[in-house]
Amino acid sequence: MASRIRALYPGTKLIIALAIGISAFIVPTYWFGFAAFGLAVIVAFVCGEGKAYLKLVRNSLLILLIFMFVMRLLFSGGKTIYWQWGYMIISAESIAVSLAFVSGVLALGSFLLLFFMLTPVKDITAALSNAGLPPSGTYVVLSAIQMIPEMRKQSATIMDAQKTRGVETEGKLFTRIKAFVPTLGPLILSSIASTEERVITLESRGFTAPVPKTRLYVVTKRRVDTTIEIIVIVAFVAVIAGRIALSLL
Amino acid sequence: MSRFTDYVKKEFPLLALLLIPVCIAINIVGFQLSQLLRLPIFLDSIGTILAGAIGGPWIGAVTGLLTNCINGIFNPVYFPYALTSIGLGITAGLLSRKGYFGKIWKVAVAAIIISLVSTIISGFITAMVFGGATGNPASVITATLLAAGNNIFTSVFSVQIFQELGDKVLSVLIVFFIIKAMPSRYLSKTKYGPLYISESKNKRARATV
Repeated sequence: MASRIRALYPGTKLIIALAIGISAFIVPTYWFGFAAFGLAVIVAFVCGEGKAYLKLVRNSLLILLIFMFVMRLLFSGGKTIYWQWGYMIISAESIAVSLAFVSGVLALGSFLLLFFMLTPVKDITAALSNAGLPPSGTYVVLSAIQMIPEMRKQSATIMDAQKTRGVETEGKLFTRIKAFVPTLGPLILSSIASTEERVITLESRGFTAPVPKTRLYVVTKRRVDTTIEIIVIVAFVAVIAGRIALSLL
Repeated sequence: MSRFTDYVKKEFPLLALLLIPVCIAINIVGFQLSQLLRLPIFLDSIGTILAGAIGGPWIGAVTGLLTNCINGIFNPVYFPYALTSIGLGITAGLLSRKGYFGKIWKVAVAAIIISLVSTIISGFITAMVFGGATGNPASVITATLLAAGNNIFTSVFSVQIFQELGDKVLSVLIVFFIIKAMPSRYLSKTKYGPLYISESKNKRARATV
């Protein structure tokens, strides 16, 4: 089951994630969003990434959701007032609004996180290539993702080197700001210098030649992917239609 | 269609394309560095402004967009703010066309313009998409302003402008110094770089003979 979920085409997984996430905003009940989050957690555990997924959700979404809930709760106004102080009002309407909004953001955010957790970057870039992204685009994305950990290590080295030269990294705010430039400066300049060499290397390997390129790693869309996509899109349209029907009644 | 592809080829030569991943990494590492030094500002758009200043509005816009997409992989909150980054890249590129990163007084003007653009776009996104909440300490101030009876846009913008001014002024200053330190050899190959090759650099280069 886990491998079958992971083997789905990236486009399929994205459509599922977006359909469920956006439906959470369209469906009038807030239970949908929370149920969707539960489903995402279950899928994460089935694929063996449960603990890491929960940690990621906690670090990224939790604080935002708490803030959003509290702010919508206190500042949405409403008629059936339970508690009031100054301009802050907690009412039945504001509780409903904040729950609905938080469940929507939770559903969309958690499914997007799940999508990126279950889809390795080379799958995403291969799917983008299939969709028509030129090889230079693929290279830009891949190289950006590669460069980030490299530069991080380099920045640690540079910061240590500058510390031995007497740059203060603790202390007052202004001192710490002064430490930023001597660390970032050499990093940026050396990275930009390396791009010149990279251009020459790429050109010498025929990167910009106007010929079709073959790929070593391909992802193909199978029939099961197309079937799932059609089902999901039909269900999504049904949700929208149902909502419109509800509001017309 | 081929005129469009020709235009795209002109706007995205290989050297400029390679500037994009470097600047994305600068954005992300800059942000981590500012967190490490416990600074209250983010400094996560230095790369976008640099890319726009040297490579032009398109390169800046793509850098901004991809930075937010990559950040968004780990925290979906960042996806909507891609609009701000794109706006920053385009603004930096358009300002650079008139050489706004060359002299210090022009840099000051550029910093203010960029801060304003950033405040307006970010403010709209925070207010409309997130209802004023961003999950960092600034939201507490926003909440306080809301409690005092101001409307959502006023509260969000008032907090945002101070944060953005501090952040963008410093970022633009850093970009200014970096451009000054770049070798003329590299700058001459980029789109707006030649505007910033100064006389003193040439004198130094010739003096080594």
